Amino acid sequence: MDPYAYQTFRVIYEATSAIICFILVRYMIKPYQITRESRYLGLPLGFGFLGATYALSSFVYFQPYFFGNRTIYFQLVVRTLAFVFLCVTYFFSRRSGDSRRLWNTTIALLIIAFLASFLLVIIPDIALPNYQLTSSFTRILNLMCIVYLCVHTLRSHIEKPDPKTLWIPLGYFLLGISQYSLIIYAIDNSMSAWWGALAIRWAGLAMFLFVSYKSFYNIKKEMNK
Amino acid sequence: MKQIARRDRLKIYGDLLSLLYAESREENIVLTHVQVQLKVPFDRLKMYISELNDLGLIQDQTSLKLTEKGKQYIVEYGKVLDFMKRMGVAYR
Repeated sequence: MDPYAYQTFRVIYEATSAIICFILVRYMIKPYQITRESRYLGLPLGFGFLGATYALSSFVYFQPYFFGNRTIYFQLVVRTLAFVFLCVTYFFSRRSGDSRRLWNTTIALLIIAFLASFLLVIIPDIALPNYQLTSSFTRILNLMCIVYLCVHTLRSHIEKPDPKTLWIPLGYFLLGISQYSLIIYAIDNSMSAWWGALAIRWAGLAMFLFVSYKSFYNIKKEMNK
Repeated sequence: MKQIARRDRLKIYGDLLSLLYAESREENIVLTHVQVQLKVPFDRLKMYISELNDLGLIQDQTSLKLTEKGKQYIVEYGKVLDFMKRMGVAYR
């Protein structure tokens, strides 16, 4: 593929992914707004961080020399943190109110990890590990988080079967396949795995958008009847 | 005895308003029905009703009819609960 066309495609692709994530943040923040329970903050934070990394990727493809090489490490770490935020939200959502202190500690630790990763990237004297190795490690970690999310949401669906609750495990499953394809790409440079990962990521994010829209739009229609 | 998970006040308000809205379709709202369904002691139910009145979510403590603000609250509350259910996030 022509490098200029590829660069343009990636700018648009990453920007679109970021826009989808930021639209999702608008919906994901509603549980916190209505309940004021801080344990639901992980949903908007997770999708917000994910969107921020996609927006950064888009900018990096648009202006490759603006930030320098260290930005790619920052993206890897923040993307992993995004999935960890989602995991802890699901984990704590099943626990009763007495775990509030534990949740606050966890979220504080995650924010410290985010700031530490930011400092690691901006301080030029710190030697960073091999990129290939770091990316493989973080993608495996992402995959583990997504498997947890998938199992958790699927378990909720099995406990109270309802066709409405099947889409989200499917969305996480697609994000998992996308991460898995990226690992395959990191191992053997397979371009079909790479393109597949990009397409499946879009499908996964679109699934979340569909569920959010369906949820808020359908109830409005029912109440108007 | 089965233990009931601790509920925060916003959830109680949401549940109570939904029950009052459902009961308001009948001729009279029977508070004991509401109390049984909400699973709270009667004195606490009276306290919540007084708070809903202060917040302008019900018209008065006698008729227990929802105001427009109260109806808006249960619409938003219902949407968010449905969203959380679809997302697989437990709300207790």
